[in-house]
Amino acid sequence: MSNLLSNILSPGFFFSIFRISAPILYATLAAIVVEKAGFANIGLEGLMMFSALFGSLASYYAGSWVVGFLTAVIVGVVMSLVMGFFAFQLQTDIILVGIAINLMGSGGTLFLCKIITDITEGKAMASTTGLVTSGICIPNISIPLIKDIPFIGEVISGHSLLTYLAFLVCILTSIMLYRTSLGLNIRAVGENSNAAASVGVSVLKIKYIAIGFSGLMSGFGGAFMSMSYAQGWSQDMVAGRGFIALAAQAMGGGECLGGMLSSLLFGFAQALGIKFSAVGLDSNLASPIPYAITIISLAIFGFVRINRAKKPKVAA
Amino acid sequence: MGDGVNREEYIVQMKQISKVYSNGVAANQGVDFNLKKGEIHALMGENGAGKSTLMKMLFGMEQPTSGEIVINGETTVLSSPSVAISKGIGMVHQHFMLVPSLSVAENVVLGMVPKKGIFIDKEKAIEITRENAEKYNLHVEPEMRVADIPVGMKQKVEILKALVRGAKILILDEPTAVLTAQETEELFRELTTLKKEGYTVVFISHKLNEIKEITDRLTIMRNGRSMGVYETKDVSKEDISRLMVGRDVVLNVQKDPAKPTETVLKVRDLEYVNEWNKKMLNKVSFDVRKGEILGIAGVEGNGQKELIDMLFNLNVPDAGTAEVNGRSIIGLPQAKIREMGVSLVPEDRMLYGIAGTASIEENVISDRCAKKELNNGPLFKMSEIHKLSEQLVKDYTVLCKSPAQQVGMLSGGNIQKVVVAREFSNDPALILADQPTRGIDVGATEFIRKKLVELSRSGVAVLLVSADLAEVMELSDSLIVMHNGRIVAYFRDAETLTDEEMGEYMLGLKEQTPEEIRRVCHD
Amino acid sequence: MTRKREIIFSIVRGAMAIMIALLVAMLLIFISADGDSFGEKLSVTAEAMKQLLVGPIFRINATGIKFEGKRLADVFAAMIPTIFTGLSVCVMFAANQFNLGSEGGIMLGAFISAIVAIYMPLPRGLHALVCILAGGLVTGLVMLIPAILKVKLNVSEMVCSLMLNYIIMYIIKYLMNTSYADKSKGQIQTYPFLNSSKLPALSQAPIFTSSKLSWGIVIAVIAVVVMGFFMYRSRWGYQIRMIGINQDFAKYSGMKVGFVIVLSQIIGGFLAGAGGGIEMLGRYPSFSWSALPGYGWTGITVAILAGNNPWFVPLAAFFLAYLGKGCDMMATYANVPTQLIAIVQGVIFLFFAAESFLSRYRQSLVVKTAKEEIAAKMASSEEGGKKDE
Repeated sequence: MSNLLSNILSPGFFFSIFRISAPILYATLAAIVVEKAGFANIGLEGLMMFSALFGSLASYYAGSWVVGFLTAVIVGVVMSLVMGFFAFQLQTDIILVGIAINLMGSGGTLFLCKIITDITEGKAMASTTGLVTSGICIPNISIPLIKDIPFIGEVISGHSLLTYLAFLVCILTSIMLYRTSLGLNIRAVGENSNAAASVGVSVLKIKYIAIGFSGLMSGFGGAFMSMSYAQGWSQDMVAGRGFIALAAQAMGGGECLGGMLSSLLFGFAQALGIKFSAVGLDSNLASPIPYAITIISLAIFGFVRINRAKKPKVAA
Repeated sequence: MGDGVNREEYIVQMKQISKVYSNGVAANQGVDFNLKKGEIHALMGENGAGKSTLMKMLFGMEQPTSGEIVINGETTVLSSPSVAISKGIGMVHQHFMLVPSLSVAENVVLGMVPKKGIFIDKEKAIEITRENAEKYNLHVEPEMRVADIPVGMKQKVEILKALVRGAKILILDEPTAVLTAQETEELFRELTTLKKEGYTVVFISHKLNEIKEITDRLTIMRNGRSMGVYETKDVSKEDISRLMVGRDVVLNVQKDPAKPTETVLKVRDLEYVNEWNKKMLNKVSFDVRKGEILGIAGVEGNGQKELIDMLFNLNVPDAGTAEVNGRSIIGLPQAKIREMGVSLVPEDRMLYGIAGTASIEENVISDRCAKKELNNGPLFKMSEIHKLSEQLVKDYTVLCKSPAQQVGMLSGGNIQKVVVAREFSNDPALILADQPTRGIDVGATEFIRKKLVELSRSGVAVLLVSADLAEVMELSDSLIVMHNGRIVAYFRDAETLTDEEMGEYMLGLKEQTPEEIRRVCHD
Repeated sequence: MTRKREIIFSIVRGAMAIMIALLVAMLLIFISADGDSFGEKLSVTAEAMKQLLVGPIFRINATGIKFEGKRLADVFAAMIPTIFTGLSVCVMFAANQFNLGSEGGIMLGAFISAIVAIYMPLPRGLHALVCILAGGLVTGLVMLIPAILKVKLNVSEMVCSLMLNYIIMYIIKYLMNTSYADKSKGQIQTYPFLNSSKLPALSQAPIFTSSKLSWGIVIAVIAVVVMGFFMYRSRWGYQIRMIGINQDFAKYSGMKVGFVIVLSQIIGGFLAGAGGGIEMLGRYPSFSWSALPGYGWTGITVAILAGNNPWFVPLAAFFLAYLGKGCDMMATYANVPTQLIAIVQGVIFLFFAAESFLSRYRQSLVVKTAKEEIAAKMASSEEGGKKDE
């Protein structure tokens, strides 16, 4: 036990929390924005898989992580807009659209990986880990001055560019939602689309923007997964982060700060799981904790909400 | 009337407007309507008289089937609300178009946000709101969340929204329906200020005192037609009431005199305050007896809906009791209420009355699906169910290919026949019929009315709520009138009543003594 | 619209969705096909498509095509778990409950059945029955969590069930690592199931020579019949469907809405869990799943294709299993990666679920019907008029 404790109190452990949280945070921000616009995107998992695959392939072909990153983002956005087309134009239940994207995201990406590598490399590969080298991954950044501070420097400095960006994007998303007219329109559409439409806000356009944003975030998250978290893409590598994000969104009360804290909590639990195995304990014991916490906190929220609604009316 | 006045004076003229909806309902027929600059103009009429349709056309939400709209002397096509807004027309809907979690200022500027760089200029938004609020004397708190402000203020926010967008003509759809007395007074002061500034206001209402107090002219509508335009000071409340309320046709329902026996439904001192703190039911007491039809007349929104909701546990009263054959029904699950022999023909048939994509057969067995006659152990007796549905379709003349047809594909009248077939065929002791013939064709209407009389004569107690004056006056044996959440009159014999009398009670001009009203409780 | 036209529309719509999916598949195969010229690529694509479409039950060689019973048996075997998850999803979706817990449910049922199969010796026959029932009951009870939270506290059953899937997976993995693993094996797996618990193979039947096809397929067919009757011939299934269509209507009609919603999810859980047990005892010697098996997601596709109607579940499951086998055949004989199935399945799913897909065509049928009805009414009223004279 003391062994575990000393493992946990190391800077490496705290470092890993941030690293693990970053992709969850991206997906959580995606979930938050679509939820503000009044719907749910449960296809984040699949979107991230596609972005991760194409990002890693593009960075290999171009020999540049920038190209890979941009490709991942574009793939995420385009696919999310296609989802929007099915949901908003063909009136498909958005939840079913999400499930379809996830179905394609798990096996379909492997298929695409195999046929693309078969064409370009001459043999079908089941992952791109053999292609992606550290040189074409998203760079890690050490922050001058801070990196020299004992402990804190080790925790905060040296992260992937996309890890820093995740927290920056979180702040920017919050600003977007609460300080810009776009954010105002998104929130208005989500809460009372008739009110928004009655003052000339295009509800359809705002919904497309929201789902496109979720694709953008999935692109960031996917790029991070295959070009920073791991070197290269492999099957089912997103491993439920898209679903965890839905929980983090709900647990964080649908707000960016809450979503960030929830993402960190999930990151913490996973990091803990890794440390468990490091000291010979079973990581499978720590891994379900965040999921259980989600259910419990949703139940508590529900309980509070129902009781508030039951409160007697105040006399006039 | 308007004919002698110079035409130039009108800022809005709607000429010979007709509107036929795609389902064939003629909501407006050759209506003339006009507005003078700087007046407050009342648009009056009972529910379904066509007021809202007329105003929706003026606000560009609906297009007239025929007729012409002239604004400031120019013939104009108002193809959408944004066109209407650009012509200086604003509308405050009965259901507010506000986003609850946003601040008052944000709601006011939504869609036309002032910006500082890429950000919303919150100070500017608050400033705009505050400036306009002061200018028009509409007191609002720009920084508060709309969810946290009282209804009266919400309405002001809506008025501000219209004014900020340049509206010179304001349409207010029953603005006082949700307001308390003080809030109403405040609204009137504000409207008077606006009038002095040269704004024109259309005020939809059926509250006579308000109309007399605040308006300059009024247009009365009845059954899709205009009953004329009057200077408010020239007409008495009684005149208005007579023009507004009245039967257009006499139905001549054939029915034997009722022979009511013991009390089935006994309601005492029912009270209910809604979520906006408005008292919707105030000490409502009455009895319905076996073998009689008790009608509830009244302008809609005076507590009838709430009353029916309480009697079927779709809502819970704050105080009071309701008993069926001596057993309380307040708070009982619907299954228990139905077991006691209560049937409900709901006002909103699409919401409560049917499962649209299910078959007619599936819709007529919804209240009795667990009954022994239809079940054989764990399985349905399909032959019994087929027999039952075929019988009901025949008895109630539901026009369909077979009972397997989707109910949502039927016409409104046939859908209502399906609802009625279910509710009337379950051996009821008490039928609550809430607007049973609203918006359906003549044939179905006549059929349902006949059935109601038939059932009551066979010993069923019937409580009939209807906004259709002819229906409620001629179908009912006795009648109560509701106004402002209270019973204001009871007539033991509905047949002796005149339309004039009814109008005066419905619009709150007259009220019986408590003793007279008390007679409806047959203790 | 008339019933006949409804059916015609459904068939046309389904066929279009399948055509689109196959076109997408063809395009992908063509792009990846070996060959230097267009013609060469085309012939490779054609070969692959032939494998996809007829390969699942026929052997294709130079002399022609020949029926292959073993392949058909494989297709049937692959239907077993997806029939159960498909039925499970049908019951829950029909009540308008987006419970996605069939995925974790089938894993949990498989695990519980496995434990009973290893540690609780019972007579042959009875043993399998107890295993399967245990798997089903435990999973049904676990589904009480999302169901009751939904009914009592209005917690999203979707998020809750997704979370449960992971909790179930990790707990099973933990239990496998700590308590139930057969340490003598290199791979993490349990001790072998007792022989008394195994579902015998259907191999006695002459054409079904696959060792994978167990009596589970018979149980699956029985489950379809039971659920078909349950959903369309019993008061409970009826109430589930009415609640799914219009919950306010159900409440007003006097149905116990909360109870029925909970019931639908318990049944959904039971079916997924029992399916897991049947799959386990019919196909595997010991439990060795280390991740969620994916049958729950396929079950959702099955339910969507079947329109939440149990009677169509075998058809949908067969179709998907057939396509899956076709993709396997393509992988073996035409060198096309087998995961093509995921894309084909996803595309079909999307177009089946798209409400407005071909809505213009539907509208034209509706208008046609309405016109005929009006004409018929006119004719009959004229007739009636004449009679009156």
